[in-house]
Amino acid sequence: MAALCHDIGHLPFSHAAEKELLPEDWDHERLTIEIIVGDELKQIWKEMEPPLNPEDIVKLAVGPGKAKDMSFSRWEEILSEIIAGDAFGVDRMDYLLRDSHHAGVAYGRFDHYRLVDTLRILPSSPSGEVEETIKPALGVEEGGIQSAEALMWARYLMYSQVYFHPVRRIYDIHLKDFLKEWLPDGKFSTDIDKHTAMTDAEVTTALLSAAFDNTKLGHKHARRLMRREHFKLLYRRNPSDIKINPESGKAIWKAAEEKFGADCVRYDSYSQKGGAPDFPVKMLDGRIESSLSISDALQRLPVVALNYVFVDRGKYDEAEKWLERNRETIIKQPGEEAGDGRTE
Amino acid sequence: MEELNRVRKAVILTALASKLREHGSWCGETHMQKSTYLLQDLLEVPMGFDFILYMYGPFSFDLRSELTALRADGLLDLEAKPPYGPQFSPTKQSDLLREHFPKTMGTYKNRMDFVAKTFGNKKVGELERLATAVYLIKESNISSEEKQAKLMRIWKPHISENEARQALEQAKQIVKEAQDIVNG
Repeated sequence: MAALCHDIGHLPFSHAAEKELLPEDWDHERLTIEIIVGDELKQIWKEMEPPLNPEDIVKLAVGPGKAKDMSFSRWEEILSEIIAGDAFGVDRMDYLLRDSHHAGVAYGRFDHYRLVDTLRILPSSPSGEVEETIKPALGVEEGGIQSAEALMWARYLMYSQVYFHPVRRIYDIHLKDFLKEWLPDGKFSTDIDKHTAMTDAEVTTALLSAAFDNTKLGHKHARRLMRREHFKLLYRRNPSDIKINPESGKAIWKAAEEKFGADCVRYDSYSQKGGAPDFPVKMLDGRIESSLSISDALQRLPVVALNYVFVDRGKYDEAEKWLERNRETIIKQPGEEAGDGRTE
Repeated sequence: MEELNRVRKAVILTALASKLREHGSWCGETHMQKSTYLLQDLLEVPMGFDFILYMYGPFSFDLRSELTALRADGLLDLEAKPPYGPQFSPTKQSDLLREHFPKTMGTYKNRMDFVAKTFGNKKVGELERLATAVYLIKESNISSEEKQAKLMRIWKPHISENEARQALEQAKQIVKEAQDIVNG
């Protein structure tokens, strides 16, 4: 039940700009929780044999990071990891394989049969420790390490090649811009009945209608989406610039906004969530090792991060020349004298 | 208090990792988590991480992601050190970054030094007990020592009553010293 309900709170078009389209302190996990404990499902849980406790379902469906007011036993933490965890969550395994299939790419494939067969709950101690602090954790047998590596690399490749493709990202931004104008008060409702009634279909219909009628709310943004008139990529982060300034993308964005106006520039930034792929591995001789200690492939796995600056295609040529001329003066070492102490 | 921006947070976190290592810490994720908790929630360095009681005591999923982002930015390395698991080390790039933030380093130097001195030589078991005790003192309204120890054992059943009492006693001293530093 927890696995089935894990994504039940998603907004139309899933993650696209959820943060800005929900009231403060709301996210899709909170909606998930509200639905699971709500009257409609509560009745269903009650009628099951044996009856289910909605709180147990919430814990396993969203995990301790989102069900912050609930206390978890270590076993509940592990069960929630099996559903929603960073490393071996079935949610992740499922979306990588499914998205890979539907996007027509091979990056997201890995041997999930082998991986599931070799998953184990193993005694694990945190780094720097031997025996004192052993706790159970989700890991793999030594024979499954290659399929675990394949999962982690599949994730890296799907993020860098599909989910973070600049055109896909700018479509999210135009969609968000549209929704901000189209939705009442620029936000999705957190009323559960209204939330469940709002699907991709409602939004798509509104998009189509607004794209071809300049009197409709969100027309400009809908048109960019439906007629493929999306903003073009002006700048993307790269190792040399990051070395000079970890916020190089933001610096370019601010300067471009000043030059071309906020309406013609969009900024996108994301860094991989969660920690390193560090999990226990049961070796053939029975020892437990850290995955990072025994796998070069995991040790060298890059972290996915993006910073994109997009400009209106009408300004693109001018912006490209402007960036070429000003790049070095914009991307400079940050420092306190440069006013980098502000909150943003 | 105004939250530090991302670059200044990077300055603080990499400096903390560096100071922890100087004090002999293994500087794995657990060490960074507990030390950052102390630095933020006790010594009032405004980093905006949301801590809950989870793995080995106070834990922040936001901080976990931020440490990953610092790796992406080339400011932290994560080195595997068999057989004891990975440890964080600040990169040369982060040394250079910190040089450009002397005011931030100056403002929070005493606080970071205190955390590094207090937690740098501790192993995870001790960190868990101490950080959990600090969390309990800060987050619960319980003042009776007996009830505090009882609650600590409900949260962390593997901790003995004696260990809980000792940790609470030490934690009270840490809270007091931290307040003295914050009040200048």
